[in-house]
Amino acid sequence: MIFVTVGNHYQGFDRLIKKVDEIASRTSYDILIQKGYSRYCPQSARYFEFVPIQTAMDYIRASELVISHAGIGTIILCKEYGIPLIILPRKKKFGEHGTDHQVEIAKAIEERRDDHIFIVYEEDQLEAKIAEVLTKKQKPVPRVNMGRANLIKTIRSFIQEDE
Amino acid sequence: MGRTKKIGLICSSGGHYTEMLQLWEAFEDSPKFLVTYREMTTKDQKGAYFVENIFRGPLTFIKGVGRIFMILLKERPDILFSTGSEIAAPAFYFGKFLFGTKLIYLECSAQVYLPSLTGRCVYPITDLFLVQWEPLLRKYGPKAKYVGGLI
Repeated sequence: MIFVTVGNHYQGFDRLIKKVDEIASRTSYDILIQKGYSRYCPQSARYFEFVPIQTAMDYIRASELVISHAGIGTIILCKEYGIPLIILPRKKKFGEHGTDHQVEIAKAIEERRDDHIFIVYEEDQLEAKIAEVLTKKQKPVPRVNMGRANLIKTIRSFIQEDE
Repeated sequence: MGRTKKIGLICSSGGHYTEMLQLWEAFEDSPKFLVTYREMTTKDQKGAYFVENIFRGPLTFIKGVGRIFMILLKERPDILFSTGSEIAAPAFYFGKFLFGTKLIYLECSAQVYLPSLTGRCVYPITDLFLVQWEPLLRKYGPKAKYVGGLI
């Protein structure tokens, strides 16, 4: 399954949903879309608006590929489970977010060259990128998150010092 | 070593909430409570206090801020921890000035180069202020720390 998610942001992300639905109409990919506050209702792909986060986590774990906006929650979960992820950042000029910070996040991640996170900046590049990633047939490899471990350690020692 | 500290965890829904769940382990030995927005995505969280999104209008703002105050009054946490966003601001100011609470703030990993509004708002009163991208240290004062990021 390919799981597509655009998160909780109050502005929709129709550009991504429409493009994915168009791809679904002429391929055999099994696509499930979380459309959030997007207006467009997919015609070819299965979709829903929101589910509890634990259900979304199950969908991500069960996917061979996730496609999303540059939302923190999805990026963290794909990293934790080691699921391949394609990111299309939201842009301010299309009314998809209040700022262009998703483009900044995408660029910062791109510089890191993670082997399972792929960035496209235009929706027209999406279909080729999906084919490229699926051809690799990457097995999910859960990542050791050193940043997370260090944050937990730092917070715990602050709590203990304070006691 | 004194008594075990009670921790108040407070965050918005969405990525902030996922960040909070990622750090849950840091608080596993502490008595704690969670305050978050009531949304489809968070409603299954057991034992949490839910607040309506305070940005939906002036009335929900006043009601939400009042509810946050009442929760703090009841729970009296020793430490407040937040992963953002705006829901942290009223809680931190009530905590600091009315209840003498220690404050830990983690700037969201969405902030790569520029501080968030909430981050700037709570920085002056926060005791442990963490950012998730190194370039962001330059935008805050010497109190800000970088030890790694979640994404």
